[in-house]
Amino acid sequence: MEQVIKFELGRLNAHLPVKRISLKSALSASRPAVQGKNGNLHYFKREELKLLSKLLPESEWDKLQLPILIALESKLGRGAARISGEIEAKVIGKILQREATDNEIIVYRPELALIRRKLPTTTQYMFVW
Amino acid sequence: MAAAFTSSPNRMELMKVRKRLALAEKGHDLLKDKMDALVMELFNTLKTIQKSRATAIEQLRKGYEAVSACMAVMGTFETMQAAEETKKEIQIEISERNIMGIEVPTVEIEETERNALTRGYSLHTTSSHLDTAAREMERAVKLLVELAELEVTALTLARELERTKRRVNALEYILIPRLQGAMNFIMMRLDEMERENFTRLKRIKAILEGRE
Repeated sequence: MEQVIKFELGRLNAHLPVKRISLKSALSASRPAVQGKNGNLHYFKREELKLLSKLLPESEWDKLQLPILIALESKLGRGAARISGEIEAKVIGKILQREATDNEIIVYRPELALIRRKLPTTTQYMFVW
Repeated sequence: MAAAFTSSPNRMELMKVRKRLALAEKGHDLLKDKMDALVMELFNTLKTIQKSRATAIEQLRKGYEAVSACMAVMGTFETMQAAEETKKEIQIEISERNIMGIEVPTVEIEETERNALTRGYSLHTTSSHLDTAAREMERAVKLLVELAELEVTALTLARELERTKRRVNALEYILIPRLQGAMNFIMMRLDEMERENFTRLKRIKAILEGRE
């Protein structure tokens, strides 16, 4: 059972990208995607990229790193998550229609559901322990 | 308790059990977080499926109505022949996306609605009802492809949720209680050994004092 736990813990963040790409380069790519640690490719939907580009001025397109990481931290409590990064927090704040503080934004379950509904491919979960 | 702990109860074993318990509790917390996120994703997908399915069914109804009207005006054979002549290719881009390590398909479909000139059938010999039927069916195809993506996603998420739930339950109801039981057993046994030692020493002291 311990091996199973270790395997599951190792697998939790295996989907995270090796290197994130900016919105600008995603918009210019023919098939925008990032490679995960497990080697799999994760593709972004163009309609989501267009939505993000509408939310940000063009000068900030190269500062937004994709996918936006939603950190699920046990210490925040069940259902709460943290989104870090100045531009990332700003864009999520615009979707939720509230302000981000200190370059990060804490989101709760209903908001998380809304974000994932609007940005299913350009956001990814990250488990923090 | 005995099933989880069979070796001799000593401090080394206590440390090992404590370490195993900490790992099990950490795994339990994280898998529970994953399960919560999966439930949320599944419900999100199901909500979208509900809307998407209703739209697709409505569009198909319109499509079949238009085909029936077309068959009534043009005749069944002529309609079938025109359908045979129609180009049957649509461009679909199927890729993958990751939801917490679960691979689900992402389908991007180009506009399926074509104009009458590019469909491939003769405009001279067909009725405008055929154009309407083709247009409605082309719209339906797009909705059906989008629905298929959502249904596969829901199915994959449901399977992963079931797997994760089994793991969480195994940790919560079997492994963690067993390890806690084992830890309590070792601690009680060590306390008991300490008390035995203490009594033994007191007895020895009393015997030595008696001899003097």
